[in-house]
Amino acid sequence: MESGEGWGAVVTVLFATVIAGIGDMLRFVGRCTLMVGQIMKVLPRPRLYVTAAFQQAYIMGIASLPLVLFMAFLGGAVTSQQTGAQFTGGLPLWVVGSVLAASVLTELGPLLTGIVMMARIGAAIAAELASMKVTEQIDALYAMGRDPVTFLVTPRVVAGLIAFPPLTVLADAMGLAAGWGVGLLSVDGLTSADVVYGMRYYFRPWALIFSVIKGGVFGLAITFIACFVGLEGRGGAEGVGRATTTAVVLTTIVLMALDVLMVPLLKAF
Amino acid sequence: MIEYRNLHKSFGSLHVLRGVDLVVPEGETLALLGPSGSGKSVLLKHAIGLLEPDQGDVIVDGLSMSTASARELKRVRRNLGYVFQNAALFDSLSVAENLWLAQCDETSTRPLRDFCDDAIELLARVNLEPDVLAKFPAELSGGMRKRVGVARAIASRPNYLLWDEPTTGLDPVNADNIDQLIFDLGRSLGVTSIVVTHDLDTAFDVGDRLALLFEGRIRAVATPAEILASEDPVVKQFVRRTKIIESALH
Repeated sequence: MESGEGWGAVVTVLFATVIAGIGDMLRFVGRCTLMVGQIMKVLPRPRLYVTAAFQQAYIMGIASLPLVLFMAFLGGAVTSQQTGAQFTGGLPLWVVGSVLAASVLTELGPLLTGIVMMARIGAAIAAELASMKVTEQIDALYAMGRDPVTFLVTPRVVAGLIAFPPLTVLADAMGLAAGWGVGLLSVDGLTSADVVYGMRYYFRPWALIFSVIKGGVFGLAITFIACFVGLEGRGGAEGVGRATTTAVVLTTIVLMALDVLMVPLLKAF
Repeated sequence: MIEYRNLHKSFGSLHVLRGVDLVVPEGETLALLGPSGSGKSVLLKHAIGLLEPDQGDVIVDGLSMSTASARELKRVRRNLGYVFQNAALFDSLSVAENLWLAQCDETSTRPLRDFCDDAIELLARVNLEPDVLAKFPAELSGGMRKRVGVARAIASRPNYLLWDEPTTGLDPVNADNIDQLIFDLGRSLGVTSIVVTHDLDTAFDVGDRLALLFEGRIRAVATPAEILASEDPVVKQFVRRTKIIESALH
């Protein structure tokens, strides 16, 4: 009897926890949806946000460029090295060029850019907005008759859409160049002609377009999540830290999920 | 006019406001007193719609803050100035930009450089020099930030002002200056103000009436003289320090 009652209590607690968790998740999704709706209402009025969006895009792009290029360099370099290291002579060396092009354009370029920008820009936005929330600056905006979604969120989200695709293209270029150069140095027998032939064998315009689209989608996700989590911040300095951590963790999960979900788009054309 | 009707507000299990009824007529300056944690700031935030009541309502300028649409709230807020307890200046903007943002609305095209003279005048009213305009909030002392917060609240020339501890953290000279500003805004310009304060000097200097918030309700609301003469033990305890000082002077 007692054992049964004990199991009953455990099941009840588990059930209640799961229900509460589902409820929290639904409320979270609901609030996200509301914010998306608010942004959509502001978008047809570019005068309210376009200047700030370009300012933010400049900061995001220029300030992050060296780190993005460095990470892309490393990504391209390790791709050609690893590809060459796997070869045992059964495949022609120009395959290094194809693998390099495919990896950089469809994955490494956008994903490394996204990860760098998440850590650099996403965390900064979440911390900034959470800090504004806990110091009543968001309340001050409301008190002035201004809407934080118009004033703070929309410019940053639009900036993400503006800045990330060009950064992705530059990352792609650096990754390909780095892979080419490092490949020549580290893969025995590989020539520039092999690399070029391999890249051209793989390349189709849709791959580059896909890379740019992916960059834009990642940019939207990173800036939106950072803004949303930042504005939910509460509880002083600890709350700011929690918001920053949540933004980084959540963005990481979302970026990986988007990466998987976008694969069919690559195959579509 | 600002009217609180049977206002209730809880935060979790903490029932802060338990049926507040209070009317602040046009042009009046009401000083709101009460123990720390009694809900004075909570009451003030309801008047600008930063908090929603669990029960009851707040009517500002004829508009119910609970049922107002986003557009109506925006309109009322443009006519309301709020002085935050910790100034709540925007860290990433200079003092000039903070003031400019308060003075214009989202659709305004007035450039910042045209606002310079107005900004200097606003700073002068709170006893600050023009060179403060180029500074950022992190470069200011606490007292200076507070005064810029006051200047920002009055920048849009609102008809209603909500002051949350406006003189806390200020030296006596600047506190007097702010008291005088509150007084002038009420008497000369007919601005309706609610001043939350722990400072009895400020309360008695600026208040046309004083209200005491105690245990979630308005315990007393009367003129300064009536408050001083009150036989209510809670009111007497609150103003006792002032009475001791007054009797020492006479």
